[in-house]
Amino acid sequence: MEFLKDFWRILREDKPALVGGVVILVYVLVAIFGHFFAHVSDLPSGGQAYLGPSLDHPLGTDFLGNDTLSEIVIGTRPVMIVGVVSAVIVIFVGVVVGLFSGYVGGFLDGLIMRITDIFLTIPGLPLIIVIASIIHTTNPFVLAIILSVTAWAGLARAVRAQALSLRTSDFIDAAKVQNLPLTNLIGRQLLPNVGPYVAISFLLAVTGAIYAQVGLFVLGVAPVSGTNWGIMINLAMNQGALYTSRSMLYLFAPMAAIVLLQVALVYFSRALDKLFNPRLRVQ
Amino acid sequence: MLGYLARRVLMALVTIYVVVTISFYMVRLMPGNPMQYLEAQLQQQGGVSPDQIRQQVEAIYGVMPSGPLWKQYLTYVGNVFRGDFGDSMLNPGQGVLSIIASALPWTVILVGISLIISFVIGLVIGTILAAYPDSTFSKVMTGVVSFLSAVPNYLIAIVLIYLLADLNHLFPITGAYSNNTEPGFNLPFIGSVLYHAALPMAAYVIVSFGAWSLAMKGSVTTVLGADYVRAAEARGLGGRRVTQTYIGRNAMLPMITNLAVSVGYMFGGSVFIETYFSYPGLGFRLISAVNSRDYSLMMGCFILITIAVVVSNFVVDLIYPVVDPRILKPASRKSRLTAPPPQAELPGAEAMNA
Repeated sequence: MEFLKDFWRILREDKPALVGGVVILVYVLVAIFGHFFAHVSDLPSGGQAYLGPSLDHPLGTDFLGNDTLSEIVIGTRPVMIVGVVSAVIVIFVGVVVGLFSGYVGGFLDGLIMRITDIFLTIPGLPLIIVIASIIHTTNPFVLAIILSVTAWAGLARAVRAQALSLRTSDFIDAAKVQNLPLTNLIGRQLLPNVGPYVAISFLLAVTGAIYAQVGLFVLGVAPVSGTNWGIMINLAMNQGALYTSRSMLYLFAPMAAIVLLQVALVYFSRALDKLFNPRLRVQ
Repeated sequence: MLGYLARRVLMALVTIYVVVTISFYMVRLMPGNPMQYLEAQLQQQGGVSPDQIRQQVEAIYGVMPSGPLWKQYLTYVGNVFRGDFGDSMLNPGQGVLSIIASALPWTVILVGISLIISFVIGLVIGTILAAYPDSTFSKVMTGVVSFLSAVPNYLIAIVLIYLLADLNHLFPITGAYSNNTEPGFNLPFIGSVLYHAALPMAAYVIVSFGAWSLAMKGSVTTVLGADYVRAAEARGLGGRRVTQTYIGRNAMLPMITNLAVSVGYMFGGSVFIETYFSYPGLGFRLISAVNSRDYSLMMGCFILITIAVVVSNFVVDLIYPVVDPRILKPASRKSRLTAPPPQAELPGAEAMNA
């Protein structure tokens, strides 16, 4: 595959992006297989609370005596699921709306874009907070839908702009002459051309979803149950982590986990950018 | 020009109307309807007649819960457009609007000053990054900036609180001013306000200057490669003239738009930062309303935040043709369609303020 070879070459040159890719891979593996190695209980285990780092507990323990590292591992899956599902929704809605609107044009296009503009204008984070506080869900898929409620609009606009300029190109005319159906025109002709942009947007949508999602848990707007990084930070803060240095690891470990993943995603997306956008490579 | 204006005004009104509608239906149609919840709560407390209960619910939400839905809706929309958001549930007898009005100045002080600081820092760093991409400063700064723009702002806030307020007691962590100062235009009060705002501002600036730098860098880089810059250089114009008139002014175009858009998002306040520093701005009010299920205050905050964004977007639309006259010329329609609209140029416009 020419494409993969190219990608590998760029990754090898761009060390941060390579490291980012590896880090993302590790997170994905932990999210999938982590449950086989780590266990967390909701019940306090006597005398185990606030232990410092040791061989048994590399990151110490929390106020219930749970191993902090295990909690990080267990917490990976819910965070990743919500992040990825939300990004999938954002991408799907954004691309479909953008391509359709840009390709159809005319009155319908104008109408769809006005609706998109409204969603672009509404401040996303306050809206997400308001919705999450009313719906109060523990279901990761519902949470993902809430997180993507306004995020698709920006992508839809950008995709539409590209569809508009592609619409007049020769291969679309050729497809039209063959009388191909609209689904083929949009799915097989237009989609591959906006693919690169979509791939990068996907990674950025994941970072956005993780940011907002952890924020909801940290603020306590989303129900605090189960184990994930946001809940860990929330509990640590509520247990007075800021006032004692004993729970410092319990507070900072999930923060480090989030930052590492976010930074990895951003750096990796830059490599994708270079791959699809040859002009960047020259600069 | 008139048509352009009319379209924008219409769009702004429609957006506000949609948001008001959304917030009406969100509170009323969701499972566990908060109005019924409040009624049940009042009944449980006992000692009040059903009539009094209804009156109290009406005072808080501004509509009769028993009437048909369309009637409730019309009353609600009418009230909102008259500026009546009902009473706060938590602070009985206090109007939502007066609570919001008391929170607004703090958000404007906190986020306004931070916004200007991070904008200026961003302009300087971004220009250096674009002009001297191979210097050591640029290499280090690019790393720092892209790292910081990936770090969620609430984490920065927590780290700052931990290091500077709790461990070393250098800064206060709650409130907007110290209790033993007299609010008013006097030196101790202003000093106390700045002292209390220092940490939240620092958190805000640390998080957002990176996004501004990257935006400015992108903008300058685009302009640097433009034909008119090359032409100006070829004509033998001085370096200073080229930098200021040709590069500077054009690179500033998208930045000014972004700044104006950010001013709108500013009223949303930095929800996380205000909450963590217990800074009594709009974002803090929103979260405390959410946590205490004070729906009328919550929706009031949300609607007001949206109106602020809509109005400032409208102002952007007004000033944009002045800054960039090409917008109004029909011949430029095509280029405007293919180029992303000003708002979309920086996907982080909201992220800078979140």
